[in-house]
Amino acid sequence: MTAATTTTSTQGTPGGAHIEIRDLTKSFGSFTAVDNLSFEVQPGRITGFLGPNGAGKTTTLRMLLGLVHPTSGTARIDGRDYRDLDRPLSVVGSALEATNFHPGRSGRDHLRVIAAAGGLPDSRVDELLELTGIPAAARKRAGEYSMGMRQRLGLAAALLGDPRVLILDEPANGLDPEGIRWLRGFLRHLAGEGKTILVSSHLLQEVEQTVDDVVIIANGRLVRSGTMAELHGAPTTIVRTSDNDRLVGALRVADVMAAPGADGELVVETGDKRLVGDVALQAGVPVWELRDRRTDLEALFFQLTEGTNRNLGDGATSLPGATQPGATQPGATADAPTETDAISGREGANE
Amino acid sequence: MGAAIKSEFRKFFTTRLWWGMAIGIFLAAALFSAFFAYFTTSATATEEGAPTGDPVQIVNSVYTAGLGVGYLLMLTVGILQIGSEYRHKTITSTLLSTPNRVRAMLAKIVALLGIGALYGLVSLLGSVTVGAITLMVRDVDPFPSIEVLRTLALSLLALGLWSLIGLGLGILIPNMVAAILVGVGVAWIVEPLLSFGLSNLDWGAKIVPYFPSNATNAMVNGVTAQGTDVTFLSWWAGALVLAAYAAALSAFGTWRTVRQDVS
Ligand SMILES: Nc1ncnc2c1ncn2[C@@H]1O[C@H](COP(=O)(O)OP(=O)(O)OP(=O)(O)O)[C@@H](O)[C@H]1O
Ligand SMILES: [Mg+2]
Repeated sequence: MTAATTTTSTQGTPGGAHIEIRDLTKSFGSFTAVDNLSFEVQPGRITGFLGPNGAGKTTTLRMLLGLVHPTSGTARIDGRDYRDLDRPLSVVGSALEATNFHPGRSGRDHLRVIAAAGGLPDSRVDELLELTGIPAAARKRAGEYSMGMRQRLGLAAALLGDPRVLILDEPANGLDPEGIRWLRGFLRHLAGEGKTILVSSHLLQEVEQTVDDVVIIANGRLVRSGTMAELHGAPTTIVRTSDNDRLVGALRVADVMAAPGADGELVVETGDKRLVGDVALQAGVPVWELRDRRTDLEALFFQLTEGTNRNLGDGATSLPGATQPGATQPGATADAPTETDAISGREGANE
Repeated sequence: MGAAIKSEFRKFFTTRLWWGMAIGIFLAAALFSAFFAYFTTSATATEEGAPTGDPVQIVNSVYTAGLGVGYLLMLTVGILQIGSEYRHKTITSTLLSTPNRVRAMLAKIVALLGIGALYGLVSLLGSVTVGAITLMVRDVDPFPSIEVLRTLALSLLALGLWSLIGLGLGILIPNMVAAILVGVGVAWIVEPLLSFGLSNLDWGAKIVPYFPSNATNAMVNGVTAQGTDVTFLSWWAGALVLAAYAAALSAFGTWRTVRQDVS
């Protein structure tokens, strides 16, 4: 690592670097792909960058990497634009798409091309091939690679310069369960070294066990950011008993709030299952189910990014002679696309 | 900068393209020079309407006879050096490792000039050995003047410059296959036809020498076709004109690359 890059680090963390996206906007013609987006990514943590297809994740990452010019706003790494970095490969490693290889060049040669540009020795190439588990395959031409091998090669390329920041666009795409587990452990290990890690995905459940922080966008706008724990909310417990009222009363005495949930279950506002069990025993009510309530991340994600598939919406309305969705489905509610969503939003406000 | 240039060379020499091109250029140079040496030195050559020139020009032409094919191949090399990056999206990884785009493009320009010179040497290996042997067999001095050396050196430069024209063209027409078809089509078919048509017109004859192929021919000071009113450029003017094409197209390409979004 060069002195120039470390001296600019204001975070005092030699391992990672601080990413700051501020008021970032990108328009393609009249279409705003990324809309006034601001968020930060901290060193030593894995941050999930989430959003449905077409939300603007890749565009944002490309702006951060100096590949796409922002219409306005900034995307900086330790206060500097990617393009101004002296030895970019040693500061930021990135893997954007799994298809970025010349089919006639071997994986190893692909890495050697990058290593040459970054002033890195060829020995580093073989080290990384070993680490990502494709040393033999890397001598074949990249056109013959499977999706998983491409992902691993992309990851090897990202790690060549031993960067402080790792930016991965949908790295789990095409990996088998074994590969996903391997990737998860690997990212965890790198974050443990203090590196800054930003991974994009369009599946919240997929990254649930991997990430510490989340940034969720939809329609190019930020809809939620924070830690994974914040997203889950305060822990709650589900309990089923034959006498809800008595248990609620007993819990209230123990200073724990509880309320009936769906399907006759009781939702208790604590994560302490032992406490709930003790209270139930003392109150003499039988308990036949007692478990953590897991946040339904799929539902939560859908709720956050709901009705935002602008790509589908545009397509439907621009079809010549297409009838309004509302006209063909008079009873349409939650399932109908954009137009009705706006209405249901208003209905919600009236309730 | 050195690192980026080294990377460009590796890019070129890690696919099969380079040795295919090398064989093509070598064979073209050897075959054309053998044929040309035989043809221009045959006794009946002048009566048959063969191109004419002094002994130095004849020898120059023998050694650069394959240049016409060679520079088209170099035009293709130049187009591929950028076109395949768009096609296979490796431009992303190129610009990630060399984010300064002017530097990334300069590295391509320097590497292409080097590759042009290397292929020039391959080409000369074919044309000078075969050509000189053929000339000696026919009792013609294979090295009548030191001027021949200048031609040999300039043929290396010509190949490099044509690859830069290709680089610019590859950026102007991002579809690689279309760029090759247009480039080769213009240089091989449109330009000779235009030259032929315009050389009979007063004003036309004045601009024809500035066409890239004619400038290239002037640069290596070869023989010229009989019975035309066109005055071709001197060798140095030819070199300057070709360099101007190369500079304009690669500067344009650099400017476009700096401005565009890579997605
Ligand atoms: N070069 C471009 N020109 C025009 N529109 C573009 C361009 N690049 C992206 N877009 C549009 O911007 C929007 C955001 O695209 P982007 O690729 O950033 O989405 P994403 O969040 O990465 O989606 P996915 O999960 O499918 O990868 C899309 O609607 C896309 O069509
Ligand atoms: Mg994407």
